[in-house]
Amino acid sequence: MLFQFKDVHLQVDDLNILQGLNFEIVRGEFVAVIGASGAGKSSLLRMFNALTSPSQGDITFRGVNIDTDIQALRKNVGVLFQNPVVFNGTVRENLLIAGRWDQNISQTLDHEILAALDQVGLVDIKLTHHARDLSGGEQQRLALARTLLNHPQVILLDEPTSNLDPKLAREIMDQIDKLREALQLTIIAVSHDHMLMRRYAQRVIILSHGKIIGDGDFETLDKSHAFEDAGLLKNEVKNAT
Amino acid sequence: MRPDFYVLSWSDLLVSLFFIAFSLFLIKKWKLGLENTLLIGSLRTFVQLTLMGYVLTWFFDQQHWAFMLMLLLIMILIASYEGTRRQKNSIPHFFPAMLVALLSSAIIILGTILLFILDVEPWYSPYAAIPIGGMIIGNGLNSTALTANRFVGELKHREKEIETLLALGATPKLAVFDAMKTSIHAALIPNINAMMTVGLVQLPGVMTGQILAGIDPIIAVRYQIMIMYMWFTTATMANMIMLAIVYRQYFTSKMQLRRELLREKA
Repeated sequence: MLFQFKDVHLQVDDLNILQGLNFEIVRGEFVAVIGASGAGKSSLLRMFNALTSPSQGDITFRGVNIDTDIQALRKNVGVLFQNPVVFNGTVRENLLIAGRWDQNISQTLDHEILAALDQVGLVDIKLTHHARDLSGGEQQRLALARTLLNHPQVILLDEPTSNLDPKLAREIMDQIDKLREALQLTIIAVSHDHMLMRRYAQRVIILSHGKIIGDGDFETLDKSHAFEDAGLLKNEVKNAT
Repeated sequence: MRPDFYVLSWSDLLVSLFFIAFSLFLIKKWKLGLENTLLIGSLRTFVQLTLMGYVLTWFFDQQHWAFMLMLLLIMILIASYEGTRRQKNSIPHFFPAMLVALLSSAIIILGTILLFILDVEPWYSPYAAIPIGGMIIGNGLNSTALTANRFVGELKHREKEIETLLALGATPKLAVFDAMKTSIHAALIPNINAMMTVGLVQLPGVMTGQILAGIDPIIAVRYQIMIMYMWFTTATMANMIMLAIVYRQYFTSKMQLRRELLREKA
């Protein structure tokens, strides 16, 4: 078992963002966390790499409390944000940014960097190219390659394709799914786009008002009212399949 | 022939009221509506500085190290309070951060000047410690107040960048290091520019004052050079110490950015 959430709550000021979450995630899963806007999806995702801590409850990673070694946890659990951060500098400088504190990264050889770029489908990019000149899709791939250089076991996706056109979004998701198989990664993706997630995720956690109202495979949950209860249209879901 | 010094009498000072009268005339002509403000400002300048003159005269008569240390501590406390008050953003524990930054700079820089550069005897002589200490504390205050404001602005601007670095395994210090560098850089540039142009464009106030008071310009220049170096070092040291304390306030013990602090007061 990779992650275990036990009675996890998150309260910010007087708002109950997440309430009584209990679930486990095993290695190699592609889990989609879906829900309407404000359901608590992004707050939940931030807990997997301890960017946010629960107000109450326990989270373990590989059987150990998630707070035990936060830096090691974050190297193991990479994240791809909705708007990728690209630092001022070249492609190489962006990829090796973690070399500022991690000797393993600073000593990465060019062929390893090129292999990481190849893994994310960035094949015709020069390492000396200015990273901020890349297109939105290329910047997202660059951010993914940067995460991969940490050799993570888990990759968190926070609406990573919501700013991309549907064709490009699908290409990037295909690439991530291939990586999951090749590198035995665990993927936890937050998305409001359940149609897209249905293509990749084996398991879906449906959040509504900070509570889990559905957890299982899409087929089983289609038979329940969970999607409608979460404010997601069932017809829309079926049409996408 | 060089005069020994120019004595400015109270009646001479009255003549300088001409400047205020002339400014009032110009303000009225342009209908700037600043007449009352200028009158109050002029009056306050006169009253405050006159009082300060008498207070300083009394201070200069005191010859005791405990008195001098107490006075410097009070100046630092007031400067720290003023620096905290000037912040647009409510930075947690900013007052103690300013206090530590100003106190450390004052001890190291004032101590070096009194003991090793001017060889003041006794070291707590108010004629040296008060004006030089005041310059160090005042300069430290101005510089750190600006740097702290800039730093919080950088944190807001770079929030995603900082979280990306944390997510890649950076410590909080490394995650905000670029923000700290940019803030200090911005604070030091005016000091460096001042060092580049001093004497070419304008004569600094301290030097002008000394020359007017009859000090040999060569001696006045030496003082000014020491002051320029002192200002730069104060700004560098005080800013670094202040930021080393302040950046920690923006993170939890679990290396999380306290985003709620960046949402306060736009």
